[in-house]
Amino acid sequence: MIDAPTPSGDAGGPSTLLDVSQLRTTFETARGPLTAVDSVSFSLDRGETLGVVGESGSGKTVLVRSIMGLLPGRGTTTTGSVALDGIELVGAPSEALRALWAERISMVFQDPMSSLNPVQRVGNQITETLRVHQRLGRRDARAKAVQLLAQVGIPSPAERARAYPVQLSGGMRQRVMIAIALACGPELLLADEPTTGLDVTIQAQILDLLEDLQSTRGMAMILVTHDLGVVATRTDRIMVMYAGRVVELAPTRRLFSDMRMPYTEALLNSTPRLDQASHTRLRAIEGRPPDLVDPDPGCAFAPRCDYATDQCRTQVPPLTADEHDAAHLFACWHPRGTPVRAVAPSRSGDG
Amino acid sequence: MADAVREAPLLSVRDLHVSFTKGGHTVQAVAGVSFDLQAGETLGLVGESGCGKSTTGRATAQIIRPTRGSVTLGGVELTTLRSGRLRKERTRLQMIFQDPVSSLNPRRRVIDIVAEPLDIWGTATGTERTRIASEMLEAVGMDPALTAQRYPRQFSGGQCQRISIARALCMRPEVLVCDEVVSALDVSIQAQILNLLEDLKRDYSLTVLFIAHDLAVVKNVSDRVAVMYLGRLCEVATSDALYASPAHPYTAALLASAVEPDPDAPRRHAPLDGEPPSPLDPPSGCRFRTRCPRAAERCALEEPQLRAIGPGREVACHFPLAGDDGPPTAD
Repeated sequence: MIDAPTPSGDAGGPSTLLDVSQLRTTFETARGPLTAVDSVSFSLDRGETLGVVGESGSGKTVLVRSIMGLLPGRGTTTTGSVALDGIELVGAPSEALRALWAERISMVFQDPMSSLNPVQRVGNQITETLRVHQRLGRRDARAKAVQLLAQVGIPSPAERARAYPVQLSGGMRQRVMIAIALACGPELLLADEPTTGLDVTIQAQILDLLEDLQSTRGMAMILVTHDLGVVATRTDRIMVMYAGRVVELAPTRRLFSDMRMPYTEALLNSTPRLDQASHTRLRAIEGRPPDLVDPDPGCAFAPRCDYATDQCRTQVPPLTADEHDAAHLFACWHPRGTPVRAVAPSRSGDG
Repeated sequence: MADAVREAPLLSVRDLHVSFTKGGHTVQAVAGVSFDLQAGETLGLVGESGCGKSTTGRATAQIIRPTRGSVTLGGVELTTLRSGRLRKERTRLQMIFQDPVSSLNPRRRVIDIVAEPLDIWGTATGTERTRIASEMLEAVGMDPALTAQRYPRQFSGGQCQRISIARALCMRPEVLVCDEVVSALDVSIQAQILNLLEDLKRDYSLTVLFIAHDLAVVKNVSDRVAVMYLGRLCEVATSDALYASPAHPYTAALLASAVEPDPDAPRRHAPLDGEPPSPLDPPSGCRFRTRCPRAAERCALEEPQLRAIGPGREVACHFPLAGDDGPPTAD
């Protein structure tokens, strides 16, 4: 297992599936260029699960769309490198990308209703993928579609294949999306908030499903979420993003036991938890995320950070490895040094 | 808290029913819900989408009129009041919604949005109106000098939610009904708003019905929690007791489904298969029985009623979990 991201230009070890280096995506806006993803580098092994965590505007969705090559061309600039098993995706012609989509790299989106075709039966949406990419005949494609729907846990799959998306619940639609994404056996699945908007009991089902499918197929996955709870027990490593940059990247357990970047710590402390007593005062992060069109110099988190100094306000901290732990990277001038657990000062009842 | 709750409740909801007619079918969105709010307490109402929790909140606030049942606020029956008198009484009970941006008029300035209830009721005009609205903005953590003359679009979701709260507090209501007020917000902003609600509850002696789907959020703000499934209440208990030892199998399943930001949290497989049945055709007897691991014949025949199983603790289940494994006993 390769924990540390390989330096740019290096193809990585034999087990490396994805190598992202100095990725930067900029949108033209009326107010000027907005850098949504900046200087992102990491690599992913075959079969590995990476959690990408961030709040809105952190760049997590733009990052996976940049990797997939799914951003609109006009007004969008992506630079840097995304190598999937040695094949460069940034700047690749759309035909080349299309050949990789579904078969080697696939994506599940947050809102299945808007990603499914509302006027096509869900079975046909799966067979379409199979017929285009795997050149299956009509009958074989149909049989495989029903088999896939069964694999993603849809009851009476042959019957449900004839349903339109609107006739299915949110959880069922997300299962259909997963069936489509997995139809051609990709090596890498990008899952962008796949359970946001679903109820907790359904979320648990979908996360279990993704995990089961991933381990039986040996597929790598990037699981994007705003919820540290979703990635805490289901990932090998976690990458935390803030204002378009990676601010911390570590193996999952190490991240939780030894948070170095104050933002990661603050994000955890502001999350209400079931194991806290009622009326526990949350440690909210004051202020709000920065303007990405006209960013201040220095660390983007500095204006909200308890530990910020003049250096933080003037110089962007580079993502560097812990001196004792090459797998743990963080971007901070004043990293937290001691293992930190989420302990919020508790207040006895208000009333 | 438990000792202070023996007086008459400030808000009392009894046997609340709300039905909608859809394509010739009648959906019972709320099918006989009863609860009390003691002055000064926060009752959390938690459940999954479609369980009727928002409808319960709206029917409590009389934004939609219940089909049947009673809602009394300080002894006044709201369900039979006609519009003029109802509007007057309703200033004592204010509601805040999930989407703060769409619940604010984009063409009005912040100060006018906050002061709107004062204008409607003619409570205050001129400098007094500005003073009250500015005080409310300050109470929600916004500087009136910087914000009063601006428009909602110039603010983030979290700030718009603060503006909605300021507007709701303007008439000094006794009861606040919060419907998923933090679900659209980022975690760091959500924590700010939850802390703000706790502060305001104390400073303005508010009584709160807090409706949300997020179990951890509900636990954080609530003194007591009611769990809802398919139009009925499953369980009502003090917040810490309910989370420590759920008595209803549905509560237990909800808690087991929740994810915690802790890599050492026990890994459990999704405890519930399938999805809730359609409210158009709810199961006979207990509405949860089709997904319940403890369901028995009796559950299909007889609908369990909410009954006390301990101090401050009620459950609607023939075979509650409540601590021991022995045969369930009433009381």
